[in-house]
Amino acid sequence: MSTMAHEGNGTFHDELHHHAEDHHGHHHHGNFWTNYVFSQDHKVIAKQFMITGIVMAIIGIFLSLLFRIQLAFPNESFAFMHAILGDWAPDGRLDPNFYLALVTMHGTIMVFFVLTAGLSGTFSNFLIPLQIGARDMASGFINMLSYWFFFVSSVIMLISLFLPTGPASGGWTIYPPLSALPQAVPGSGMGMTLWLISMALFIASSLMGSINYVTTVLNLRTPGLTLNRLPLTIVAFFLTAVIGILSFPVLFSAALLLMFDRLLGTSFYLSDIFIGGELLHYSGGSPVLFQHLFWFLGHPEVYIVLLPALGIASEVISVHSRKPIFGYNFMVLSMLAIGVLSFIVWAHHMFVSGMNPFLGTVFMIFTLVIAVPSAIKAFNYIATLWRGNIQFTPPMLFAIGLVSFFITGGITGVYLGNAALDIPLHDTYFVTAHFHLVMGSASAFGFFAGIYHWFPKFFGRRLNPRLGYIHFWGTFVSLYLVFFPMHFMGFGGVARHYYSNTAFTFMEVFVDLQGFITFAAILGFLVQFTFLANFFYSIFFGKKSTENPWKANTLEWTTPVNPGHGNWPGEIPHVYRGPYEYSRPDVKEDYLPQHIPDEEVERADGFPEHEVPPKRESSPVEVKEVDEE
Amino acid sequence: MDPQSLQSIIGIAQVLLVLIFGLVCLNLYLVFRLKDIDPFAKWNPNKINGTLFLVFLVVGLIAAVVSTGAWSDYYILITNPASAHGIQIDRMFMNTSIVAAFVTIVTNGLLFYFAWRYRSKDKNQKAYYLAHNNKLEYLWTGIPAVVLTILIVDGIFTWNNIMGDPPQDAIEVEINAKQFDWTFRYPGADMDFGATKVAFINEGAGNMLGFDVNDSKGLDDVVTRELHFPVNTDITLNIKSRDVLHSPTLPHFRVKMDAVPGMPTHFTFRPTVTTDSMRIIRNNPEFDYEMSCQQICGGGHWNMRAIVVVETMEEYQAWLREQKTDKPYFAVTAGDKDNSSDIAENENADQSNVKVDGSVSMNQ
Ligand code: HEM
Ligand SMILES: [Cu+2]
Ligand SMILES: [Cu+2]
Repeated sequence: MSTMAHEGNGTFHDELHHHAEDHHGHHHHGNFWTNYVFSQDHKVIAKQFMITGIVMAIIGIFLSLLFRIQLAFPNESFAFMHAILGDWAPDGRLDPNFYLALVTMHGTIMVFFVLTAGLSGTFSNFLIPLQIGARDMASGFINMLSYWFFFVSSVIMLISLFLPTGPASGGWTIYPPLSALPQAVPGSGMGMTLWLISMALFIASSLMGSINYVTTVLNLRTPGLTLNRLPLTIVAFFLTAVIGILSFPVLFSAALLLMFDRLLGTSFYLSDIFIGGELLHYSGGSPVLFQHLFWFLGHPEVYIVLLPALGIASEVISVHSRKPIFGYNFMVLSMLAIGVLSFIVWAHHMFVSGMNPFLGTVFMIFTLVIAVPSAIKAFNYIATLWRGNIQFTPPMLFAIGLVSFFITGGITGVYLGNAALDIPLHDTYFVTAHFHLVMGSASAFGFFAGIYHWFPKFFGRRLNPRLGYIHFWGTFVSLYLVFFPMHFMGFGGVARHYYSNTAFTFMEVFVDLQGFITFAAILGFLVQFTFLANFFYSIFFGKKSTENPWKANTLEWTTPVNPGHGNWPGEIPHVYRGPYEYSRPDVKEDYLPQHIPDEEVERADGFPEHEVPPKRESSPVEVKEVDEE
Repeated sequence: MDPQSLQSIIGIAQVLLVLIFGLVCLNLYLVFRLKDIDPFAKWNPNKINGTLFLVFLVVGLIAAVVSTGAWSDYYILITNPASAHGIQIDRMFMNTSIVAAFVTIVTNGLLFYFAWRYRSKDKNQKAYYLAHNNKLEYLWTGIPAVVLTILIVDGIFTWNNIMGDPPQDAIEVEINAKQFDWTFRYPGADMDFGATKVAFINEGAGNMLGFDVNDSKGLDDVVTRELHFPVNTDITLNIKSRDVLHSPTLPHFRVKMDAVPGMPTHFTFRPTVTTDSMRIIRNNPEFDYEMSCQQICGGGHWNMRAIVVVETMEEYQAWLREQKTDKPYFAVTAGDKDNSSDIAENENADQSNVKVDGSVSMNQ
């Protein structure tokens, strides 16, 4: 059935067989250290990001279970808590300060280390050269540095968990003065210092990565791969990198000024403070300034997390419904719009921060404008499924789940973006529900969709699909069970970051629901072991993959099963068309790889050979329904 | 949580956990050990997963509707607004919810329905080749744009209404936040607040709010631990913090505004339902309005509770008169009228901060 693909790939495979036994291709014959540790091969670096990201995810989610147990049983004590946490859970119950530390570290690890570095680091690194037909990143060395900065930054962040005063405890948004004053919370001592150092390294890592991605996409595309033929994954990674380059430096400045306030006694963010029985010398600073700087990164950051996942979803949905992605141009334009607009909505996180209310009006307008391109994307995904020939592979399941989370979580943004409605909802569980669905769950599903889809390219083997199904359904259901009920708590006014809901009569009534959520979360956590087992087993013992197991169009599937450094043993394939030509009526197969010239395309019965394909123009209304049953 | 529901939750959870665990083990076993006699090998994943999406849609929808209803007694943020602007916010909330529910159900519905409907039945069959349709794109760009514009215009007017200049005759109440409690200040008989400054705080002497001890206007200021408001009167909250960010939140009144050290903030609103009436409306004689902190502020953040009482103007004034106003740390007495402070000049040794023992009580 895939004869054509094999003919098409044939030219490049002659050499492959010579090289098949040489795992590292013809460019590179290093030792263990240069091949696996300090490798400059983008594929190895991608795997390093992936494994580190997965480890950080396990830690981050585990931390959340600890504080979820506290929320479910605010008055119980558990011997195992004391066993794990020692002094942080004196009588089997979390210390309130450590509760905040856990929340902070969970947020920081998940947002930055898992969904930013883990996601972009893995897939931008892996896919950019492979999908644009490049032998490697523009600078392999800087790329390697990017990983090692990330690694060191992860290690520092994890070390801070073991400090006697605890890790940073001011929330992942580290608002001063809380984050600036060790008197205010113990985690603002050494813990916060390590947080800032770690994030500084993280930002450096992110910038080195992003600059590489942008340069590579702009300069190293194979002939024929014009910008309007880029796979949407690449468009998404590219825009993500641009957004990162423009916004992360601002977080760096914010962190630097905070560092000055903490270490040098400057007053950028602090003013008129009396704490711990004494008056501090700070005067004239503004905590609101920090919030502006933080969210100038913070809002783009949420799209840095989401866009790569959306890009992966576009690719996966198109491949597995065997249909062109609907509205390629609109998909690109909406991503561009989101990219631009994401820089002018930041203050919607600050409607009730005390900033001038007039700003609230302006930011409300931009915020609701950004909902439009988001809506376009959702509709285009749905339209892609329409009359597709959907193959429910694990990546496809996760991509569909992603779209569902994106819709359900995105819609609540319309409440929050409305400044007046945000007054009651701000900093309640409604916000927690919103961003865990739209950012957390959707991006995590993007990560999974990507892993299941490209695993054969990463490791040359297949994941077991059936465990994939269990993994998907278990995760999908438990994530909804965890985050949907949080809307109810939001309606009930339950505040975020509360150690216990028992102090207020209007919150107390939700303790049962907290219990339910905790169990759903534990369930979801356990289900992840189906993935981990599958993942690590299949790396070594999975079924061997073929070159193009999903019959996809993009260039990465023209490389050998286990591509060496340099990716293509022979010449790099050229590109003759866009990436989403699936199920074209005039072509025999239901896919048409980008690298096959028109004259080599095997036509469907009744279509003349060597013809320029008919211009694609169709309207769904006029086409007669074909009976498929 | 009462022990019975705890028991049942734990029971259900245990069953679920065992079930999941069993499933996983079974599958691992089948997949890795018994490849050849795998009884599920013939199952068609497209059929199963496609059907599951449809099941998920139907069950999920029912579960979402039922559970939303089941907790609705506790939705204090969207029922029984107790302030004038709260009514507007709640109206907007309902409008937005109708739009949101409609969009969520329709789009998720289409997503899962299409997933089921167009599941591959035959690998060799082709999908319908359709790469784009600009009319459709304009349609689903335009409709959200229009709907959002309507919502946003409503939002802008309401927001400006709430945040506009406070009326002249509003009663001013000061909220002083610190780790981890609130102190409130009413202007007293002269209807004017005495000057305060963080630098004047003297905990040893009991000057917790940092009164300028030479400003006699402060002598009659009423300092309380409970908030009282007269009903149907505009109230302006002047919000201050002396250490970290806090966020005084009065959910029943749809009021929230951060307390920012170094920068007083304000929120004006008009309570419309007295505590007594709300007890009748909610059919709960124990009911009290509460104020919480909703900006992460340290270990006691979860426990910064204050009671809020809304009462008639007469009750309010009676309450206010009852409050003690003695401030032994003041340098002036009620007699010295003309001491209106020039803070900079009057600053003297015993105002600048005496370091006390450094222990602040954390009342958790
Ligand atoms: C449909 C368009 C969206 C709108 C109108 C919107 C609006 C908002 C608003 C106004 C807030 C602040 C709420 C508050 O703190 O009171 C918020 C919070 C948040 N949103 Fe969105 N959002 C949208 C989509 C997204 C997307 C796509 C993501 C992520 C990929 C996202 C991630 C977040 C996060 C992480 C927060 C919470 C941050 C925090 O306070 O810790 N939002 N959103
Ligand atoms: Cu935002
Ligand atoms: Cu607080």
